[in-house]
Amino acid sequence: MIEFSGISRSYGTKVAVSDLDLTIPRGELFALLGPNGAGKTTTIKMLVGLLMPSRGHVRVAGHDLVLDPRGAHLHLGYVPDEPCLYDKLTGREFLWFIADMFGMPRGLAERRIAAEIDHFELGDFADDLAESYSLGMRQRLVFASSLLHDPETLVLDEPMVGLDPRSVRIVKDLLRERTRAGMTVFMSTHTLAMAEEMADRVGIMVRGRLVFLGTVAQLRQHGAGRSGTAGTGHESLEQLYLDLTSQTGAVAPR
Amino acid sequence: MTTASREDSSRPITAVEESRIFLRLRFLLARSTLRSMLGEARLRLSLVILLSALFWGSLYGLFHEAFFFVDSLHAEVVPLLFNAFFSSLMVMLVFSTGILLYSGLYTTPEARLLLTLPATSATIFNHRFQEAFWFSSWGFILLGSPMLVAYGVVRGAPPHYFILLLPFMVAFVAIPATLGGIFCMTLVAFMPRVRVHALSIAVGGALAAIAWLAGTAFASARAETMSAEWFEQAFSRLGITEQRLLPSWWLSSGLLEAAARAKDGSVWRHLTESLRFLAVLIANALLLQLVAGWVASHFHRLGASQLVGELPARRQRRMSWFDDLLSRTGTARGRPLRLLLVKDLRIFRRDISQWSQFVIFFGLLGLYFWNVRVFNYQHSYAAMIGFLNLAVVGLILSTFTTRFVFPMISLEGRRFWILGLLPVHRDQIVWSKFLFSFLGGLGPCCVLVGLSDVMLGLDRWLIAIHEACCVSLCAGLSGIAVGLGARMPDLRESSPSKIASGFGGTLSLVISSLFIIAVVLVMAVPTHLFLATAGGADGSSLAWAGTPRAVAGGLATVLVLGFAATALPLALGLHAFRRLEP
Repeated sequence: MIEFSGISRSYGTKVAVSDLDLTIPRGELFALLGPNGAGKTTTIKMLVGLLMPSRGHVRVAGHDLVLDPRGAHLHLGYVPDEPCLYDKLTGREFLWFIADMFGMPRGLAERRIAAEIDHFELGDFADDLAESYSLGMRQRLVFASSLLHDPETLVLDEPMVGLDPRSVRIVKDLLRERTRAGMTVFMSTHTLAMAEEMADRVGIMVRGRLVFLGTVAQLRQHGAGRSGTAGTGHESLEQLYLDLTSQTGAVAPR
Repeated sequence: MTTASREDSSRPITAVEESRIFLRLRFLLARSTLRSMLGEARLRLSLVILLSALFWGSLYGLFHEAFFFVDSLHAEVVPLLFNAFFSSLMVMLVFSTGILLYSGLYTTPEARLLLTLPATSATIFNHRFQEAFWFSSWGFILLGSPMLVAYGVVRGAPPHYFILLLPFMVAFVAIPATLGGIFCMTLVAFMPRVRVHALSIAVGGALAAIAWLAGTAFASARAETMSAEWFEQAFSRLGITEQRLLPSWWLSSGLLEAAARAKDGSVWRHLTESLRFLAVLIANALLLQLVAGWVASHFHRLGASQLVGELPARRQRRMSWFDDLLSRTGTARGRPLRLLLVKDLRIFRRDISQWSQFVIFFGLLGLYFWNVRVFNYQHSYAAMIGFLNLAVVGLILSTFTTRFVFPMISLEGRRFWILGLLPVHRDQIVWSKFLFSFLGGLGPCCVLVGLSDVMLGLDRWLIAIHEACCVSLCAGLSGIAVGLGARMPDLRESSPSKIASGFGGTLSLVISSLFIIAVVLVMAVPTHLFLATAGGADGSSLAWAGTPRAVAGGLATVLVLGFAATALPLALGLHAFRRLEP
């Protein structure tokens, strides 16, 4: 479970995230949407412990990211938008490093590494140095590493960037399977179709504030209520999103 | 997956386990890097080993002679010499390790990765500290060991002196290195916005203090340079470095004790005393490690968060008038070239790693040249010092052209979709890099060479010759770096340092070094012979080489060499760049 309680974060005089209260229960896939500069990346950085909030608390599986970062990280998997690997390690060595850092027992680590290599089709290059990997290969390896310890919470920042259609399908199937098994997924994305297809709930952030929180169906209803017409297709979702994000100061029902 | 299986999947690991994991990581990275170097960069590896051995051997020879000289006059200045040397290095080690750790702990992608893993801050610090410590130790041992070995040989030190050298040096380096880490983490956590200014002030203050110390120490007894009295007076002013609370004093005293023998030849008393100093160094190093671990636990994440939370730099407008002037002055035909120059100039100004290294290296050279006046050299000797200084300026410039100018074309290749679609001829891109490098290096190098010559009291004609050589060096070094950079681009690599350290960069550095040696030798030999024989033939077989005609011939050769080093690589580079397919 993820809890944001009264979170605010400022950069100097600029407020990046303001009074964010949000709880994402076990087994939910949550998609955070918003235009560039809305505060999504700041929110994710606070969620993974790279940034401390100016006010409020972020908790993962009951562990406060500021007071107990190590406890929180044990329950967290993170796939950043720019995958970071050790160029001079092979994919397999990197996976072993991550497994060791999470204190996984040897036998279990061995089985999980083999399974993830198989799952993300890394076998052909798992023993090559990461410096020779393409962006998509790096992203798949980071996905595999983030799932090795079967985290309770998975944080994804623009997860489909660099992935080919087959890999996108693998990731989507995997997210469905893991959320069914109880994993909480927090995903930041610009891809409305992805959010519409995958997310249990979406949040739309504008200028540091959460202006909408609910299911895609609720978003459509909200839009229909505003315009007096029922939205049906993808275009209308896009229009709803554009309408919401272009409103300044207008807070939608949550 | 069930909750039960998840609970079994991960657990907090102990500090010992963490250390073991990071040790294994370091081993794997080192092994892989070594394999890559042996497989792909043998030339670079061989050059590093060869040049290091050459450097070590030269320093050893120099120190060997120096200790013989000092020993025969006033052996008591040796402790002062050691203290001054080690205390200066100690200050430099604090800053260099602090800067290395700043990058390793906060700004690299690895730093961000480690902050999202269940690793303790103390372990992350230790992991990054080991790397910074290795770099610091390597430099210190390369610089300090020839001096200490030479001292031991001259003094006829017992074998344990040589065995204890390494533990002493490693224990010593750990102290300023850890202090650098503590300063770095504290500065970033509590003064993130002023960290650059605070560091600049601290580095500037330390350099000024060292310059003042050197200036006041050697400003004495100018009339009797290198005499026993001169040494005595100069070194007596370095007594300030003999503070007993300084680790440099513990190191100096411990090593001097290890090298000493009692009158009856017994070494045990001195050895015991030496080991006590070693124990003091080790104890302090370990204590500081504990303090650093505590600081890391409390401030590392805070500092990292402060840096991540910094606002992006505001638009830089302070120098825009200069950019406007440069882009608007001149003919319309040359405007694309000038615009490319302005672009590179802006990138240079906004890349702190480039201009700060430029300022530090040329600033240190300037300090040295400013102080060179205190040595009262003979005229022909002063001219040779002038040529050596010219060579040093050239070598420093060559490191910059290799590190920063050589990768420029490769980096443009990665952004070729921008330049390739503009109405700019490809040749202009290469020429703009050449002009950027040539004009950027020319000013500082000519000023430095001029300063050195004026301080050495050289004649105007000699200054003119040195300046001509300097212009030739700037043009040639720029031509080599830009030409080879265009001829051997690495379009896959985004890191300039990795591009520079590849085969092309190494080749550029080697050719640059050979070019500098050729230019300086071609001009220095006839000039020296001319000055030594006062311009007249002395009847020897080499008399022809000391005539004014030979000097003029040397100058002409230098200009030809400069032209060749500029034109040939540039022609190769232009030819290759026209056909480049990114």
